[in-house]
Amino acid sequence: MGKYGKIAQIHNQLISGKISCVELTKAYLNAIEQNNEALNAYVKITPDTALETAKRVDAKIASGGELAPLEGIPMTLKDNISTKDIETTCCSKMLKGYVPIYDATVWKLLKQQNAVLLGKTNMDEFAMGSTCENSCFGGAKNPHDLGRVAGGSSGGVASAVGGNLAVYGLGSDTGGSIREPASFCGIVGFKPTYGSVSRYGLIAFASSFDQIGPITQSVEDAALIYDTIAQYDPMDSTNSGKKGPVTAQLNKDIRGLKIGIAPEYFDNIQSDVGDTVKKALDVFRSLGAEIVEFNMPSLKYCLPVYYILACAEASSNLGRYDGIRYGYQTAHYSDRDEMVCKTRSEGFGPEVKRRILLGTYVLSAGYYDAYYKKAQNLRGMLVKAFDDAFLQCDLILSPTVPRTALPLNYSADDPVENYQTDICTVPVNIAGLPGISVPCGAGNDGMPVGMQLIGPKFSEATLLNAANQYELASRESCFQAVKMGVE
Amino acid sequence: MVTHEDILKIAKLAKLYVSPKELDRLTKDLNQMIAFTDTINTAAAKANDFDNINGLENAFRKDEPAPSFGRDEILKNAKNCEDGYFLVRRRV
Repeated sequence: MGKYGKIAQIHNQLISGKISCVELTKAYLNAIEQNNEALNAYVKITPDTALETAKRVDAKIASGGELAPLEGIPMTLKDNISTKDIETTCCSKMLKGYVPIYDATVWKLLKQQNAVLLGKTNMDEFAMGSTCENSCFGGAKNPHDLGRVAGGSSGGVASAVGGNLAVYGLGSDTGGSIREPASFCGIVGFKPTYGSVSRYGLIAFASSFDQIGPITQSVEDAALIYDTIAQYDPMDSTNSGKKGPVTAQLNKDIRGLKIGIAPEYFDNIQSDVGDTVKKALDVFRSLGAEIVEFNMPSLKYCLPVYYILACAEASSNLGRYDGIRYGYQTAHYSDRDEMVCKTRSEGFGPEVKRRILLGTYVLSAGYYDAYYKKAQNLRGMLVKAFDDAFLQCDLILSPTVPRTALPLNYSADDPVENYQTDICTVPVNIAGLPGISVPCGAGNDGMPVGMQLIGPKFSEATLLNAANQYELASRESCFQAVKMGVE
Repeated sequence: MVTHEDILKIAKLAKLYVSPKELDRLTKDLNQMIAFTDTINTAAAKANDFDNINGLENAFRKDEPAPSFGRDEILKNAKNCEDGYFLVRRRV
C-alpha cells in the first residue's frame, strides 16, 4: 500500500487539507522520475497535464467545492486506451507517433472527475502477451524483483501500481491481461463482466473478449473505480447498461456464500502456488462461507478455443493498419499494395504477426469449419458449463496464474508453452464473466501469488464483496512490502 | 502439417511479407500453434447456437444527424494527405 493509503483515505486527506493535490501529484512524479528507469512501467509521462489538473483540484477545494471520489487521485492508463492529444502507441512500432483525436469513454468519465493522469503505461504489443516483453519499448519489470517480469499484457500498469508509482490504473483484459500482471505484482486486478464497461476508444485486439478494468492496491479501490467507469455508453453497441453501485455493498456478511472449487483448475499448477491458493479456503470458511466441490472437464478446451477465436478476431481487427490513415508507413515502395504489405511487415512485431497468421489460417476457406466454427460452438458449450457451475455455487475460486512471476527473458522458444500462463484466466473471457485476482500469499520464491474469484455475469456486487471480506480478513504479511515509489 | 507454401499463402491473405529468413521459424511456430488448437477436435462436436456473449440484440438508434469529427482532425495522423484527402500511390 502506498504511503497515503487507499483512495478513500487520500480523498479525505485532500478535503481536510492535510495534503494538497499538487503536493500529492509531485510526490508521484518524483517517484516516477526516480524509479521508472528501473521499472520501465511508464512509456510516456505527462507532468504538465497532471500538474494542471492538480492545480484545478486544489482551487476547487479552496473554493469549498465538493470532490468526486476519484477527483485529484494520481493514476495511469495502459497505452491502448485512447487519450485525446496524448500519444497512444499500443507499444507497437505501428502506432508510434499516433495521437488520438478523441478520448476513450473510460478516460472521458475519469477526466470529468479531474483524475490526475501521470502518464501512459507499458504493455505487450497490441496487448498480445503475458510478460510485457513483447513491447517495442522493452518490458516492464516486477517491483518485487527487478529480475522478473511484471506480467502482461497490462504489465506497465501493474508495475506502476505495485511499485507505488500510481495510486491506480486502468488496464484491458482479453485473456487475463489485467489479472495476470496483478497476480505477479502482488496487487488487485479486476476484469468486469463483458459489456459492463464501454470499450469505445480501447484499441481493439479481440472485440468479443476485450474488457477494460482497474488495477489497484485494494478491492475497495477497484470497486470505487468500477462504479465510475461502468456506465452505459451509446458509443459501444455491446455495452449492456446493466450495473449497480457496488461500493456501498462491500461490507456484507458472507455467511452461507457458496465458493466453488473445481480440481481441473488446479491441474498443471505449480504446487506451492496451488497450496497457497487453497489456504484461502480456510479464510473463507472462517468467514462462514461454504466450500463446494464440482467438476469442470470442459476447462481443458478453453485455451485452444481462446487462441483460435482471439487470433481470428485480431487478424480482422488489425487489418486496419495499412499505413494510409494513421500510424507507421514504410519509407520505400513502388505501388500501393507493396506499401501496405511492407508497412505491416515492418510495423508489427513477431508475436503480433504469428497471431495474425494463425487467425487468418483459421478463418480461411477449407479451415473455417474445423477451427473457427468448431471453436465458436465450443465457446457456447463453455458458457453453458459455467451457467451449470453457478447453479451449484455463488463464486468459483482458482489460482490466477499457474506460477509466480517469470524471470526476465524466460519466454520459451515454443509459443504454445508461453500461452500456458493464461490457462486459469482465459475461461472468464470466453464466458464473458467478471473475475478478480487478489493477493493471497507468497510462493516458495517469496514472490506474490494471486487467487482468482469468478462470478456469474453482472455479479460484481457479490464478487467484490467476497473479495473485500477475504482481503480484510487475510491481508497481514502476504509477502514482503515493496520498498520503492511513494511508500 | 503447414508447409512453407501454406505460410506464404496465408501471409499474402494477411498482407504480410515473410522473408526467407523468417519462413522456417514461422512455419515451425504455426505448426506448433495449430497442433495445439487441434485438441478441440477431441471434443464432442455439437452444433450450438452461440451468437454473442451477452445475448445482446441489435441496438438501433434514431437516424439523426449528430456532430462528428472534422476533416482536418481525421487527416491529422495521416503520413500523406492533400486537399483534404488521404494520398496514396496511383493504382491504375
